[in-house]
Amino acid sequence: MIEQYTITNKYNFPQPNIDTLLPQRFFEQSLHSLQRVHQQPLQLNTAIQRLHTTEQYATSLQLKPQPITLKPDRQGTTITAADTSTIKVGETITGILVAVRAATAWRQDGTYRYTRLGPFIFHVTEENKDQLYNSLEHAYFSTTCNSMHQPTPNIMQMPMRLANLLERWLQIMLAKTVTKGILLFDGSLTAGTPETPPQRLKEILSCARKNGSTVLAFSKATTLRANGVLITEQLPSREPPYLLETAGLHSKPPQVLLGNVYVARLNKANIAFRLDVDKEVLFEQQIDAIQKLLGNDIYTQGYPETLRLSHILCTFTANEVLAIKHFITRKHGIQIINRPDMHRLLFGPYGYKGEAYA
Amino acid sequence: MKLYKKEGNILQIISFPTENAEKGDYLLVEDGYAGKALIAQVIDVQFAAVPGVLEELLRTLPDGGEPLQGEDIDPMEIAPHITYIQDASLLICKIRATLENDMLSPSSSWLPSRSQSTIKKLSTPLLIKLAKIEGKLPIILGGTKDSTLLTIDASSLDGTLNIITGKKGCGKSHLSKLLMVSLVGYKATVVIFDLNGEYGNLGVTNDGKRNLYYGKIHVFTPGQNFKVALEQLNLNTVMGILVNALHLPGTSAREFRRLWKSLKERGKLSMQELGEAIRDLNCNQHVRDALASRFHSFVNSGFFTDCLAEATLMDETLMKTKDAGGALVINLKNTSNVDRQIIVEYVLGKLVDSLQNWKLRAVFLFAEEAHLYLRETYWDDIVTRMRHYGIFTTFITNQPDTIQETIYRQADNIFLFNFTNEHDLDVVSRAARVDAETVHSIARDLPPHHCLALGRVVCDFPIVARVRALDIKTMGETRLFFKTVN
Repeated sequence: MIEQYTITNKYNFPQPNIDTLLPQRFFEQSLHSLQRVHQQPLQLNTAIQRLHTTEQYATSLQLKPQPITLKPDRQGTTITAADTSTIKVGETITGILVAVRAATAWRQDGTYRYTRLGPFIFHVTEENKDQLYNSLEHAYFSTTCNSMHQPTPNIMQMPMRLANLLERWLQIMLAKTVTKGILLFDGSLTAGTPETPPQRLKEILSCARKNGSTVLAFSKATTLRANGVLITEQLPSREPPYLLETAGLHSKPPQVLLGNVYVARLNKANIAFRLDVDKEVLFEQQIDAIQKLLGNDIYTQGYPETLRLSHILCTFTANEVLAIKHFITRKHGIQIINRPDMHRLLFGPYGYKGEAYA
Repeated sequence: MKLYKKEGNILQIISFPTENAEKGDYLLVEDGYAGKALIAQVIDVQFAAVPGVLEELLRTLPDGGEPLQGEDIDPMEIAPHITYIQDASLLICKIRATLENDMLSPSSSWLPSRSQSTIKKLSTPLLIKLAKIEGKLPIILGGTKDSTLLTIDASSLDGTLNIITGKKGCGKSHLSKLLMVSLVGYKATVVIFDLNGEYGNLGVTNDGKRNLYYGKIHVFTPGQNFKVALEQLNLNTVMGILVNALHLPGTSAREFRRLWKSLKERGKLSMQELGEAIRDLNCNQHVRDALASRFHSFVNSGFFTDCLAEATLMDETLMKTKDAGGALVINLKNTSNVDRQIIVEYVLGKLVDSLQNWKLRAVFLFAEEAHLYLRETYWDDIVTRMRHYGIFTTFITNQPDTIQETIYRQADNIFLFNFTNEHDLDVVSRAARVDAETVHSIARDLPPHHCLALGRVVCDFPIVARVRALDIKTMGETRLFFKTVN
């Protein structure tokens, strides 16, 4: 813990005593990892194996037939959102080069603002991945994989895990700094996965509650089905905005569901999203929070603009990937090589995997 | 810089912000393995199609439409690299020549290696040296962008048809004065049709002192120090004036020819005798009226005199310039349209006469806004017949469409100043020694007093130069009402 604020002093939020070391640690670890990469050839490749942990639930899920009608509440409320993005820049003979970036966006008094952290670039190798990941875990969450009896992620999982680490840090920072606001998360409120231990998400939700804020987590896509049909595809013919409550949803251990799951259709666009709301918050307060979101944010496609912005701002564009390559070539003397792509070599045009800008 | 594409004689080259390539610059694309290099000129600079730039620009606009305010904490300082990539430019270059064993050839048929070629800027001095633009009779045209002097060879103006064109007030007359005095410096005979009376003081410096050319500038002001006696004229010249300038019909022309011969035989070739002869002429009334009206035009012009002492012997001045060089400035200021045509017909007739008889070797003729005094049939005459006699014309105009297309097609050199109007640029691009892309792209962005030299003078390597200042008394400034206020 530190007393002085380094990165956070740039935020417009109230600033309690929180650990703000993580971006600094990200920076340090990034530089440290890149020291080893000097003069190594780099094979460009942006394909990331997205090793998402599949959420597992008992299958007795039902949608309550009566929708909850929502009325926008225009009482001034700060809406904040956080998101991270990661990209594999390429491979070296000993590991991979990864870029991670986080963004937080907020809407206050009708104006959107944002802060972006990064990109942080890491050279992840078999040799350094344990040290890299554990030192970051320890820096903020005071845990390590060993202490949680978990194996260190493998190299291919590292990009997502590093991004997740940064995202959780950003979320807890928002939870600690925003008072009486709405915190928008990307994804669900399911914990107990390797990247999100239950205690970590519980701590975030608890911090938010203490500050009078409510966490709303929007999933862009869901696999949840009721009676065999996706829950977001069972919309009643009712004037939006409204919520559909779910019942009978139970997570399978060790996963734990920390939110109440709804289907939210926020405007006339025929798109609905899975919405998880902190279940420790009273039902009325949950509905209040969603109505405040409706009254304070723009949601042209049924998705909160603040969350959309945080996602857009942290995403790497092709131009940025080129810039990162330029950076590592110039600053770290990495020689970019172009090894033949085996998929392309063997399968011609059918070997294209959709990755761009390699 | 990296070679990206070649289509025909157009190269596309990727350039980064630190490389500072601009329109008009020359690049040397060297292929070490092939042992050859392409010389290409940048004719346009565009943004490189860097993937993701649009997303980058759009994402700072939220749904509300106002630009998003925010802060980037970028400890690794990647942002300058992003800007560097985003600001990469695509240079559209026109291949001008191939360099092989220090020899230039106009070929662009080979393809340099995209991965192995090195691209660097070709400095103007090196280009001038390679292209052998400088000759034994140098004329310093001005300075190029890289602060070197652009020197052309006076002999590249010899036997050529030249055009100086550009928007009003961009320095055309200044360049024509520079070329003129430079040619006079090399003992050439120069004749100028000076429409605005601005060439008269070429022999005087800015502070009123005599300069090098003082004794070589001869100003002829019609009606004042420039008059001719009918006795000095030959019939062909007079007929030229009557038919071409005064549009005398054929029948009347025949009658006049008879009249002229009769007066000449009697030794009575004077204005007075001519007037009386026309009055007493026993012929059709219409013919007599036609001749009388032309005679009055002669009288009103003030250009013709019966006093031999008053008459100017243009031949003498031409002879003087034959050995020492000099400029005959025909001051057409304050002359009416008809009078201008009479004078021009006379001067051109006189020049052709002198050249035909080998009294003169050749003449450099500078014609400002020639459409105001040159009859239509003369255009072709000037570029074909008169050229063979040794009249080498330079047309100066701010209305390029007043010069006939045939003139452009045969122009050897074009000095192009700024134009913004597409139509004007279209007209100029008809010139055989010019490519339309170069004209359209470079001329539009030329600053005042900068000209794009095209053609023989630059060995077909278009070069932009800022025309150098001259220490001569300028008289071409526009008279302004609010000048004292400003």
